[in-house]
Amino acid sequence: MSAKQRFRPGAFFLSYGFLMAIVVMIAVFSLYSPNFFSLKNGLFILHAAAPSMILATGVALVLMTGKIDISIGSTAYLSAAIGVVLMMRLHVNPGLAMLIVLPIGAVLGAINGFVVVILRVNPLIATLGSYFTFRGLALQISNSMTISIPAQLGNLGSLRIGPIFVDILFAGIVLAIYQVIHTRTIFGRHVMAVGNGAEVAQKVGIPVDRVSFLTFTLAGFMASIGGVLTMFQVSSLSPTLGQGYEFTAIALLVIGGVSLFGGEGTILPGILLGALALTIIQSGLNFIGASVFVYPLVRGGIIFIAMYADSLKTMSKRHVKVLAEQ
Amino acid sequence: MKISEVLRTEPARPDEKTSTLNRDATRILRLIPVGMLFLILVVLSALVPYFLSVNNFVSILMQCSSLGLMAIGLTAVLITGGMDLSVPSLMSFSAVIGAIYMRAGGSPVVACVIMVLVATGGGCVNGLAVAYLRMIPFVVTLSTMAVFGGASIWVTNGMSVTGIPRGFITTVMHDIWIFPAPVVVLIVVAVVVHLFMTRSLFGRWLYAVGTNIRAARVSRIPAQQVLFGSYVFSGFVAGLAAIVTTAWLGTAGGTIGSEGVVLDVVSSAVLGGVSIYGGAGTALGAFVGTIFIKLISNTLNFLQASYYMTLVVKGIVIVAFVAIDSLFRRR
Amino acid sequence: MVGIKKSFPGVKALKGVSFEAYPGESLALIGANGAGKSTLMNILGGVVLADEGVVNLDGHATPIHSPADAARRGIAFVHQELALMPTLSILDNMLIAAFPSRNGLIDYRQGEALCREALARLGYDFNLHTQVRDLSPGDQQIIEIARTLLGKSRIVIFDEPTSSLTSRERERLFEIIRYMKSQGTTIIYITHLLDEIFTVCERAVILRNGEKVAQSLVRDLTRDEVVEKMIGSQEVVSYFQHHVRERGPLLLTVENLQREGYLDRINFSVHRGEVVGLWGLLGSGRTELFRALMGLDQITGGRILIDTGRGPHPVKPRSRKNPMGLITEDRRTDGLLLPMSIRHNLSLANLRSFISRLWPFIARGREEAAARDYVRKLNIKSTSIEQRVATLSGGNQQKVVVGRWLQTSPLLFLMDEPTRGLDVEAKAELHSLISELADSGAAVMFVSSDLDEIMSLSDRFLVMVRGRLVRELPRDSTKHELLATASGISSTGGVSEP
Repeated sequence: MSAKQRFRPGAFFLSYGFLMAIVVMIAVFSLYSPNFFSLKNGLFILHAAAPSMILATGVALVLMTGKIDISIGSTAYLSAAIGVVLMMRLHVNPGLAMLIVLPIGAVLGAINGFVVVILRVNPLIATLGSYFTFRGLALQISNSMTISIPAQLGNLGSLRIGPIFVDILFAGIVLAIYQVIHTRTIFGRHVMAVGNGAEVAQKVGIPVDRVSFLTFTLAGFMASIGGVLTMFQVSSLSPTLGQGYEFTAIALLVIGGVSLFGGEGTILPGILLGALALTIIQSGLNFIGASVFVYPLVRGGIIFIAMYADSLKTMSKRHVKVLAEQ
Repeated sequence: MKISEVLRTEPARPDEKTSTLNRDATRILRLIPVGMLFLILVVLSALVPYFLSVNNFVSILMQCSSLGLMAIGLTAVLITGGMDLSVPSLMSFSAVIGAIYMRAGGSPVVACVIMVLVATGGGCVNGLAVAYLRMIPFVVTLSTMAVFGGASIWVTNGMSVTGIPRGFITTVMHDIWIFPAPVVVLIVVAVVVHLFMTRSLFGRWLYAVGTNIRAARVSRIPAQQVLFGSYVFSGFVAGLAAIVTTAWLGTAGGTIGSEGVVLDVVSSAVLGGVSIYGGAGTALGAFVGTIFIKLISNTLNFLQASYYMTLVVKGIVIVAFVAIDSLFRRR
Repeated sequence: MVGIKKSFPGVKALKGVSFEAYPGESLALIGANGAGKSTLMNILGGVVLADEGVVNLDGHATPIHSPADAARRGIAFVHQELALMPTLSILDNMLIAAFPSRNGLIDYRQGEALCREALARLGYDFNLHTQVRDLSPGDQQIIEIARTLLGKSRIVIFDEPTSSLTSRERERLFEIIRYMKSQGTTIIYITHLLDEIFTVCERAVILRNGEKVAQSLVRDLTRDEVVEKMIGSQEVVSYFQHHVRERGPLLLTVENLQREGYLDRINFSVHRGEVVGLWGLLGSGRTELFRALMGLDQITGGRILIDTGRGPHPVKPRSRKNPMGLITEDRRTDGLLLPMSIRHNLSLANLRSFISRLWPFIARGREEAAARDYVRKLNIKSTSIEQRVATLSGGNQQKVVVGRWLQTSPLLFLMDEPTRGLDVEAKAELHSLISELADSGAAVMFVSSDLDEIMSLSDRFLVMVRGRLVRELPRDSTKHELLATASGISSTGGVSEP
């Protein structure tokens, strides 16, 4: 006897709707401007999307447990700023400095984890507070100046192997690692279980608090990687680094199918699709000569639709009937 | 025979021992912001010679006017257990629309009406999504924040809108007795809204929905309409804030650092005793919270702390406050 | 388990229960609602700790501290609400508590083999990658059972397993249980549906009010005997002196009320001055009926007619003209605004009467007077009307809820388990109240799982089974008749199809 799998056209459309929309968009933009659909352009798009993809992987796990983190942009900035200070003011070897920065991101994430899990503060407020605090600290130590970084590091940002940007590969590797973590480690499965329902997860014996704490720590870790990468890409530390990143990350994740309610979503292809969707739109709008300022508006609209779709998907999940069909 | 007349009429015997610890703790908690405010006032008056002057007070209140209005609007939403992240973006967008209208030669009065209408309209969108489409408030207002923020930038091409008629500025900013009109508006709004929330039918409904929406529904309270109304109100007040900000700054711009502002608005409400979880808080509380936030900034400024340290301090303060609140709730 | 005692605040849930269970048999644990079955098993399953008493496994005393502990000792609990993760696959759900791993990663190959084998033993072959939420409740239950097989459980507890199954799935479950018995597993089967016991179990333990009243081989029992043991004497413990009331004119008529998935073609009527007892087992839809009448849930068919003296006319449940008041099952979650004062809570449904056209603010004076009035009339013990409702005793809290509706002068009171969790004195007060309400011309419909209570108070009974109103019984029905009807057994002893 095999289980009857119910085909749900609504869910199918919602899940793959964006994929179809992306394809349509590429087609439309290409028609308008023939250069759009070229390998070169594609690579540039991926290159620009790389840091957001990396940041998003960290946040993804937090969202999957049903919680939220809106501080990653500030974490990215603070980590990058500490790195710069180490290099430029304390004259630490650049390589070493960058290595130190990464665990710092993890520590910052752990602070969030502590406040949410141990102090039991609402995640929104907790990460709101970190948003303020981390950014303030970063601005303080960098004096909100734009600081250039050594050329070797800057070059890393645009390093290529052949025509392909290295950071694309790097992002790809990160995604792949996270995909494995998500789908093939006990931790990853526990994350999804907690997102489904923390009480039930507890009943089954899953260490809910530990899992949550780890997701925040990882988010911080990825944020610092992403921040450093952005810095490499523009060859300098700018005071607006990371601003709005948390927002983009969430948008990207929701578009890619990660639900804000927790327990749903994938790393691959979810994050990839979401990142592509956003950057294609941005790039495409550029290509058709739309004003730079249309993009935030369009992005906002897309986010609204994506979140509405998310709501619909989740609402339809929740109907348990009393009467069995006789 | 009326039902109510049938019942027994013995006097009640008051012999219940009530748990006073919880009640006292909450009271103390509610007093902390006021207490700290007082403390800061004392510190400042000691440090700053002219602090206790009327001028200074008025000036502080003026700084608070736009923020305070938005915090009061947000309070209504917070009381129902919701969240509205789009308030500053709504304000900014409606300000831009109104400013453009005036720049093109429109009458300032009509511009004010436009600002309020646009912002209220945005509030309606939020309200519809939360109350009738049953979406999560955080999610909805996050996206409306993006849409309206983006729209502001788009419409203005990223530049501030100038060319606002002097008449508008002087009218809005004129003094009523010793206070600039915006301050008067803020105080009046705070008082009226406070009274309304604590004493009117709709206000009761608001608190009921935020405390226990299921019980409210069972008691035949139109919960969906209450939710809708709270967002519309929040939008409306954002419109008022738009008028005030435009007149004060003399321009309307798409990038008034809106991300920082929303955190300030939420902090003001939270520090003023409005609970994130709903069911508690008052407009006057939000008003006090706004002053509190501004005073923190001013104090730190005066102590020559950098702008950045104010961010840090604000962040820590708000987390600490909510953490303590959480701890007390558990007991 | 020996001498298990367990108390909850205010209520002695278990007063010293002992029983034995053997491998390869299925032990039925029977009792009415509140008899203590779930509590007893929760202790075995590590969900709660006993106050006194010992659990012996294989003759050795074995303290069980937590669900994980119980699992380690080979005890599995299949709860009524399944502990599954809807968005995860069957595979993940089965392995979630104990993934096989290799080199830090989950060894899915081994896992899949184990799961497939467990399911095969039950006769199933699902696609392991299907998400659990796409399965029917019956299939979901199979997954949970298979999960217990994985853990090589020696004792499996089933808590009301058939409540959301189709009849075919029920048969399937019974076969699986037979299979498990043949493997030497001990099954403990909690239910209040008597027929199932006779089909699947060898021995039975009957609990009543926290005590064991019988333990015997199933084949030595008749249905009647079981029912008798469950309810105690056939005598009704009369909580309340019932007096015959004259039934008033017709008040409410419900025609073909329908709610997809929950209520099926309900028809009945209620007269003024009656107390109608709505009786049925857990899950029979009684609460759903009340909610539908109040307009809290959308109905998909049928209508409600109210007669206020000028003939019956249809009323939309949600409209304010609906003269009903609902006292919900759980006053803490959907009845009271706990952090708020008595005054606030009392006026909640009736705020409109305190405002006037000219002055849209609530007349505080009048509100306070009304609050004081009802506190007095209902004898709500409190220090003042400003006292927070959360600090009142259960009985007084319940009175606040009643008081709230009294202010709106409803014609029909719907009360869902109104005396749950109240002490004896408070119960008595509430009983008097119900009677007085009926005397004064209102009608009361109430739900209670306490057979003695519902029999003491009601003028007649409406019995529901699985979302359908199956019978109306008169006041002089016996306990046996009531229980039998609710269990779906007709008075001739066979099983009636509801």
